[in-house]
Amino acid sequence: MPVDYEALVDAQSALLGLAIAPEHRPGVLRYLQLAAGMATLVMEHPLTPQDESGSVFVPVSPATPSAGPGEGGAA
Amino acid sequence: MSALANVRASLARIEATDTRVNAFTDVLAERALARAAQLDAGATPAAAGPLAGVPFAVKNLFDLEGLPTLAGSKIEREAATARRDAVLVRRLEAAGAVCVGALNMDEYAYGFTTENTHEGPTRNPHDLARIAGGSSGGSAAAVAAGHVPLTLGSDTNGSIRVPSSLCGVFGLKPTYGRLPRTGSYPFVASLDHLGPFARSVRDLAVAYDVMQGADADDPAQVPRPVEPTRPRLDRGSESLRIGVLGGWFRRMALPEATAAVDRMAAALGTDRVVEWPEVERARAAAFLISNAEGATLHLPDLKRRAADFEPLSRDRFLAGALLPAAWMVQAQRVRHWFAREVAKSFESVDVLLAPATPCVAPEIGTEWLEIAGQRLPARASMGLLTQPVSCIGLPVVTVPRWHTNPALPHLPIGVQVIAAPWREDLALRVAYALECQAVTHAPVAML
Repeated sequence: MPVDYEALVDAQSALLGLAIAPEHRPGVLRYLQLAAGMATLVMEHPLTPQDESGSVFVPVSPATPSAGPGEGGAA
Repeated sequence: MSALANVRASLARIEATDTRVNAFTDVLAERALARAAQLDAGATPAAAGPLAGVPFAVKNLFDLEGLPTLAGSKIEREAATARRDAVLVRRLEAAGAVCVGALNMDEYAYGFTTENTHEGPTRNPHDLARIAGGSSGGSAAAVAAGHVPLTLGSDTNGSIRVPSSLCGVFGLKPTYGRLPRTGSYPFVASLDHLGPFARSVRDLAVAYDVMQGADADDPAQVPRPVEPTRPRLDRGSESLRIGVLGGWFRRMALPEATAAVDRMAAALGTDRVVEWPEVERARAAAFLISNAEGATLHLPDLKRRAADFEPLSRDRFLAGALLPAAWMVQAQRVRHWFAREVAKSFESVDVLLAPATPCVAPEIGTEWLEIAGQRLPARASMGLLTQPVSCIGLPVVTVPRWHTNPALPHLPIGVQVIAAPWREDLALRVAYALECQAVTHAPVAML
């Protein structure tokens, strides 16, 4: 089914509250289609549930711990 | 020479030639002269540092006390001035270097050409009609023009390696997570790296060594010991297993680019070809992550004042805000898959060579390039060969080669010397071996 990029721009920009000026719209459509081509390449690539994200979160410790090791009930 | 003499010579060269090159957006003469005088007076421990009296400059996305951090934009001219220098600027100055100014770049680092509409394009010092590359175009051009022997830039998708290639200077993009980015304006936090440019591998190594070390304020920095590279530079390349990247890295390069790689490979005595799988998908993943993350960073300004953005990248930012979340999540997973596959290749080689750009510097304003029988947009295509490598954060030294295009013998092109994560030492060692064989060098442009 062909993708209606005009409708996609209208729907997504409305959801975000991002007004696209008429003079910017042709460029936005062109780049959205370019991104869609890139997305086809990544979406078609087979992955398993064990393939994790390249974006890894690191927990943040307080700059000044509230209690020393073994104190304050911290595990 | 004294620090003061070095800084005066640098400022004089900038004044004499930068109206033609347009590398600098701010020259900090007063600050630099005062700092140099302090060094010469021995009034600071930095006077005994390994970079004592060396003038340097930074891409204008690094904080410099008293200046707004422009990141190549018009919008940030209204921002509050920085209260202190970026961490890497402080570390270079603690080693004795003297900051003389801030350098031009593509707006918010989203480009490969430094055709900055607000500041004017930075011109290639080796051919003023041509681009310097980007987004750290001012950083490479300032070194090639002889303004300063050392600069700093950033690299998200190729922004150190592309301008190094096109301006004929050495550049180091360290491993993702190695150097702290504290006090720099981000583009894509998932992919942003900072690193130096210089006219010799030794200068790169010295600068890189003094910039290593933990900083708690960069959440992407990986805890690593300081691993000095300068003492290991001259160990040679003979004991290293070196290969040339095939497939995508040959297909998407013009003969002038593959010729540069082949000459380096011959000098290193290797004809071994290594192929990475699914390189095009890795490049696509980097494209999507950059597009979506960069756009989200600027969403408030895109809503309020889209017309104030760089016309060459504004519509790309706007489109990036509209991408489905599934594309972004899948792109990050493909990125990790690719990193694991590439890690396998480094079980049998230490260093890999690949072109840094598909071609030598195009003329300013070039819209299209013909590569592999395809008509491709010139500005985006300058990163075809760098994006798959930075996507997985590998360390790369870019080394220049000359005279590979018979029609444009005055123009350089760079070769990426790529190592496994955290092995900057090996990439620098091979680059130094090539420099010692006179296969690569970085002359100051005749201006």
